Amino acid sequence: MSPDRTRPGAAGPGRKLLPALRDWGIYFALAGVVIAFALISPEFRTRENVMLILLQVSVVGIISTGMLFTILTGGIDLSVGSLLAVAGMFSALFAQQNSPQMNLALACAAPILVGLLGGLINGGVIAAAGVNPLIVTLGTLTAFRGFVIWYRVNPIYNLSPAYRWIGQSSIGPVPLPVVALVLTALAASVALNFTRFGRYVYAVGGNEKAAAAAGINVRLVKLCVYLVSGLCVGIGALVFTSRLGAAQAIAGEGLNLQAIAAVVIGGASLFGGRGTVAKTMVGALIIGVLFNGLVMLNVSSPVQQMVIGAIIITAVWLDGMMRKKG
Amino acid sequence: MAEPVIRLSGVSKSFGLTRAVCTVDLEIFPGEVHGLVGENGAGKSTVMRILAGLYPDYQGGIFVAGSEVRIRGVRQARNLGVAMVHQELSLVPEMSVAENIFLGREPPAKIPGFISRSKAAGRARALLKEIGVELDPRQKVEKLSVARRQLVEIAKGISQNPKVLILDEPSSSLTAPEIRDLFKVVRRLAERGAAVVYISHKLEEIFELTQRVTVMRDGARIASQPTGQWDRASLIKAMVGRELSSLFPHRHAPDKSAVLLELKNLSRPGAFQNISFKIHRGEVLGIYGLMGAGRTDLAEAIFGLGPAAAGEILIAGKNARIRSPAAAKSYGLALVPEDRREKGLVLTQSVARNISLPALKIFSRLGFVKRRQEAREVAAIISEFDIHAASSSVAAETLSGGNQQKVVIGKWLVRPPAILILDEPTRGIDVGAKAEVHAMIDRLASQGMAILLISSELPEVMGMSDRVLVMREGTLAAEFSGADLTAENLGGAAAGAVSFAGISA
Repeated sequence: MSPDRTRPGAAGPGRKLLPALRDWGIYFALAGVVIAFALISPEFRTRENVMLILLQVSVVGIISTGMLFTILTGGIDLSVGSLLAVAGMFSALFAQQNSPQMNLALACAAPILVGLLGGLINGGVIAAAGVNPLIVTLGTLTAFRGFVIWYRVNPIYNLSPAYRWIGQSSIGPVPLPVVALVLTALAASVALNFTRFGRYVYAVGGNEKAAAAAGINVRLVKLCVYLVSGLCVGIGALVFTSRLGAAQAIAGEGLNLQAIAAVVIGGASLFGGRGTVAKTMVGALIIGVLFNGLVMLNVSSPVQQMVIGAIIITAVWLDGMMRKKG
Repeated sequence: MAEPVIRLSGVSKSFGLTRAVCTVDLEIFPGEVHGLVGENGAGKSTVMRILAGLYPDYQGGIFVAGSEVRIRGVRQARNLGVAMVHQELSLVPEMSVAENIFLGREPPAKIPGFISRSKAAGRARALLKEIGVELDPRQKVEKLSVARRQLVEIAKGISQNPKVLILDEPSSSLTAPEIRDLFKVVRRLAERGAAVVYISHKLEEIFELTQRVTVMRDGARIASQPTGQWDRASLIKAMVGRELSSLFPHRHAPDKSAVLLELKNLSRPGAFQNISFKIHRGEVLGIYGLMGAGRTDLAEAIFGLGPAAAGEILIAGKNARIRSPAAAKSYGLALVPEDRREKGLVLTQSVARNISLPALKIFSRLGFVKRRQEAREVAAIISEFDIHAASSSVAAETLSGGNQQKVVIGKWLVRPPAILILDEPTRGIDVGAKAEVHAMIDRLASQGMAILLISSELPEVMGMSDRVLVMREGTLAAEFSGADLTAENLGGAAAGAVSFAGISA
């Protein structure tokens, strides 16, 4: 039916604008929001505030990075917030001042191991039993939260200074949590762009059947992305708990939705196969800047939520529109 | 002659830069069965989809009962009396037969806004009885075989009481007795004064059933005349536009001393039973059969996509345990699947990444992809198979069907396998690309590859293969080679003991 020719497109000067806008639109959006707030609010444009925004974004950004992996395969991880509470609690158990259990190395290793274990449970069930990721992680979202409340309903406050240093110190002007975010994002970006595993993640998300028919172990890839998500939750839990100087069973509520929002605002497809770390970070930053800027403008918290909700929908709608036309 | 019920005048339709249908004139008369033939991609289905209201952006004129109309949608086409039964089944599996037949036109109950199930079931029962199909209208469609679903699909078309009923390859998944029933239904409809457009690849059916045949090629109408004025040779020539033999290069010769793949009593209940055969080095072994005969299941079983329940697979004489495509790959097997969009390509990914995907392990060290080597080998494949793409970094979905198919074949030849399984390798691609694929098959076989060629196209399977196995209802029905390799033998074996000539009886 069709001659051997690629589809028409990208011809003429008018057609170049749209693809450029599609690829770079998210960066323009971030720049636009930042400039707008900077013009309106003098408090917004201080260096302290910029660092504050980055600090506030760091945990969500780290969690979003892991979330991106699951979404790239067409899955999702709703359990991240609950898992963060579990991991944070186990971290704090080894970080209590004047406790015989106090052990800084264990306090750092425990959240990572708990995160990986949570990822193993999620990924194991999804890969082995073939249950829908939305259902599996909805289940573990509830179960992990139940576990941590059952295990220890009272918060742990008196954490050692050495432990709190992790979340509260800086290298030069840059807070350590921000360094953790940058390193996590870089590692994830390298994994997705330069390794075989990264290629497999995109292939499985783009077309699972074709990936399987190419000889890729689809189940293993799926298991691995939930391990990555769990690992990021572990790192996030360490940063979060040490920064706060406390661990509580209700920590991380709503974090899953913020992370998903960051990934989706960053242009990733919930059906899988499309999305990048850089744009996910921009998505997280847009949310962080909006919250911060609206606070600076004395917008009340419920109104902030309404604004951000509307922006999530608008961003994804615009992205879809441009994709269709391009 | 009576006035045509529908007349097309200079109808054209493009997809992007591709002209799928080019100034087609066509007259369809009441009470006639009108055969529409042509190769895949000739534009037959596209013309009929325009009539059915699926492509409102056509150019040209359509006249219904003498007055010009502009067909803007499916509902309007239906009101004009056009009903189309599509090639791809479009039923909702979770719903019952009756619900499917009356989908979108449910008979209302007494209370407004509610629908009457009993009325729908009653009407469906009457309709099915009228066309001679024994089916419970309350049965869920998912419980039915492919053939029975096809009959439900046809009943759905007839239920609209159309002036023109378009059947797009309705018999491709039917067995001989079912085809006989279908013919009865079609004839009865024509006797009542409706026009039936019958699209089919099976020329025997065309000669058997139709009063007038229109041939299309490359989007244009080539000829339209009463069936009696055609014979088999003239019809094929009009369809293909040249002599058939030139299409199929056959320079390879099998090496009978080396068996590369052997199956022993391979079975999977419900799909195929007791399949045994051997393929030699440099041999093209064809597998012919109707849709649903189990050919694709067999191919996927050999490749580990849906492992067989019983039987043995021997690779170069040694027993092979193939439980996954990865294992199949390590034994030197490759599969080009039937549906390239479903299982062959990651459409959103670049051409390069699609090509390198199966060989990524070779291109990487310590988990990192060696991008330079990858780019070099991908470029070699793109030039070897003459894949036309704006660049190797454009998404696979932007390529034409023929080029997509070349990508799917090419990706397995980065590291050539010993045994290549091709499942309908030329379905839905244009004539030029088809010839390239045929040349490629011949070349690979000449280099010593063993090729299992699954095809529903008789000329292809006859022209390319050294031997042809015929599958029917999950079993090997016959094997033909040499002088026995005729369309009559293959068609007869595929359809069952009843030959095509016997259908009229």
